[in-house]
Amino acid sequence: MLQLNDITLKLDENLILDRISLNIQPGSIWGIIGPPASGKSVLVKTICGFFKPQKGNILFNGTDICKIPETKLLEIRKQIGMLFQNNALFDFMNVWENVAFPLRRSNPDIDPELLREKAWKRLKKVGLAGSEDKLCSELSGGMQKRVGIARATINKAPLNIYDEPTAGLDPVTTSKIYDLLLEIKRQNSSTVLAISSDVEGLRNFVDNIIVLHEGKIRYSGPEKGLETSTDPVVHQFVRGEEEGPL
Amino acid sequence: MMKQFLTNFFAAVGDKTISVFTAAKTLLLVTLNIFRGIFHFKNREKGEILKQAYEIGNRSFLFVSVTLSALGMVLVFQVCLQINKITGDQSQVGPEFIKGMIHAFVPILTAMMLATRVGAGIAAEIGSMKVTEQLDALRMSGVDPIDYLIVPRFIASIFMTFILGIYAALLVILAGAFMAHHSFGVNYNVFFVFDKVTWGDLIIGSTKLLAHGSAIPVVSGYCGLTTKVGSEGVGVATTRAVINSSLAVIILDFIISAIGLMTIQ
Repeated sequence: MLQLNDITLKLDENLILDRISLNIQPGSIWGIIGPPASGKSVLVKTICGFFKPQKGNILFNGTDICKIPETKLLEIRKQIGMLFQNNALFDFMNVWENVAFPLRRSNPDIDPELLREKAWKRLKKVGLAGSEDKLCSELSGGMQKRVGIARATINKAPLNIYDEPTAGLDPVTTSKIYDLLLEIKRQNSSTVLAISSDVEGLRNFVDNIIVLHEGKIRYSGPEKGLETSTDPVVHQFVRGEEEGPL
Repeated sequence: MMKQFLTNFFAAVGDKTISVFTAAKTLLLVTLNIFRGIFHFKNREKGEILKQAYEIGNRSFLFVSVTLSALGMVLVFQVCLQINKITGDQSQVGPEFIKGMIHAFVPILTAMMLATRVGAGIAAEIGSMKVTEQLDALRMSGVDPIDYLIVPRFIASIFMTFILGIYAALLVILAGAFMAHHSFGVNYNVFFVFDKVTWGDLIIGSTKLLAHGSAIPVVSGYCGLTTKVGSEGVGVATTRAVINSSLAVIILDFIISAIGLMTIQ
């Protein structure tokens, strides 16, 4: 489904990603964790084609996204549902228009009534029935996150990327969000890539995990193997210890 | 010491030169993509051009009206005042004023007004969308931000700058005539003489309006798209948009005037 081969990315002469290689199988759930500024968000944005790596390639369903022009990238991106770190909801649209937007762009000739119905159903699924006509600025942080999730998943894209799906949310809402993401994943049979600073919450959600530090992969494999990793960075980060290389 | 100074000096000059050329290349690419985007009809929202035309035209209407009518009155007042001191013959004030306004003043002044009002708005809107990742969210939906955001503003700006320019020309001439009549007793029949206005003046004036109308959203859109992170970045982009749009208008005005003088007139 998604294969990263030796990706190296420099931005303004700073090495952000250092020889990243990954092979993500269809239907799997991967988590990316790491200290701040370790390159997590840049990695997923590189996968989406927002940054061109200086070395290596990224194969998405066999297509090397590092070598195709922007017009073709736009088509590829329609196959990726993305929840942005700060939600990136369109402030000139109301809630249901935000959710309907990717579906409308993928199906320009869709019946407006059907579009509205699908958006409303998706909003109901994320627990936002009744908020369809509100502006996104009128919603709480948790509700905005749900709108972002609804927008990222309405197209039933084969790959879903969630950048900090639970950032700034209380434990109860966090748990509900992870349950919701799992339910959507089961229904859509999609592959999931999630970034989170909430290590414990994310570990309950994913099958495989990647630990990034200073642009390098320090651990990549099953979530259960994280405890037995001998890497000092992984050891310290997962346990939250004060003493160590971090 | 001297060697170090020279090394730093040439490094700074080289760095600046590279950044200027990089910016010019990006601006050229944005411009080309805008022209290409005109034909990507499906990438635009229905009615977006009309909405933007309303935003640009209606919201600039009062600003342009007040500024240009005041300017027209002040200009005529000063000219009449000086002529009164010399010959007292004010029969040529109206014809020359009308010619000058159509040929030179109205296009550049209308465009400068719009560069500050519309250019700042476009840069702030697109810039804030960039820093909040809304542009990336558009791209993730398979939408090119240039097609979706800048092209409708580009088309609307060309159209509305032309319309506002014609309106401004009428207003400034009327304001000038009013001042000449009420302050210096110039007869309206003497003022409203259009004999001196040639087809060349009309073509040059119209060309300027169209060129300025297209330059403002291109430059402002580019400034918005290249906004650096944070709210400070949006402020910087907005300022850059106003300055660079105004500069683009002045340069284009100069070029069109020069070509016009060499060819049409």
